[in-house]
Amino acid sequence: MFSAARLLRAPVLPARVFARTYAAEASGASSGQLVLNFLLPHEVICEKEAVNQVNIASTSGDMGILADHVPTIQQLRPGVLEVIKAEGTQKWFVSGGFAIVNEDSSLNINAVEAFKLDDFSPEAIRDNLAAAQRAVSAGGSEQEVAKAKIEVEVLEALQAAVGKTA
Amino acid sequence: MAFSWKAANISYLQYSIVCARAVRNSLKPDLRAIAQRRDEQGLKFQKWQGGKAGDSAPVEVNKPPASS
Repeated sequence: MFSAARLLRAPVLPARVFARTYAAEASGASSGQLVLNFLLPHEVICEKEAVNQVNIASTSGDMGILADHVPTIQQLRPGVLEVIKAEGTQKWFVSGGFAIVNEDSSLNINAVEAFKLDDFSPEAIRDNLAAAQRAVSAGGSEQEVAKAKIEVEVLEALQAAVGKTA
Repeated sequence: MAFSWKAANISYLQYSIVCARAVRNSLKPDLRAIAQRRDEQGLKFQKWQGGKAGDSAPVEVNKPPASS
């Protein structure tokens, strides 16, 4: 009896060991301010811009990034990127890319294509989605079907994003 | 679902090209015309022999150049 009770109690460590937060881990030379670099191959959208928060859609889930976030590299899904600044929120749709959170609270977003949600045509999205879905059901080589499936995934994300603002 | 394209032997580069193309094609017409220019890729193949250039032939993406 005695030893069983001891065994049960033994692995329970003090709660404060687990009370570390993500923000506390990256306590390097932090200014407490998130700095965003948002780059496309053909355009610099913003460089060293102080922002409050950035919400990204990564392959491991949606995440909001604040200053002092733990350093990480995330692959971006085709989806919405939200930049929250003091003067307001900007929404972009990115086709994919990478987000790199550095130790000094700077965030690099590299994407292939990024456009404001207003730049999209809901009719074009609908037509392209219908065409991509037809291509999936029409069959073909494994690669053709896989590429059509990628398109469906992108366009569904786009439709969800643009539909919300319309 | 997110990585199902890997099973079809599609590389990340090809995947990101397909994604970018789908995004460009869904823009409003005026922006689309500008953006679609970024999608164009070109490669020419020309065989040099004895200091002279042979015929040049455009190389299609994902296809090996025609042997001459």
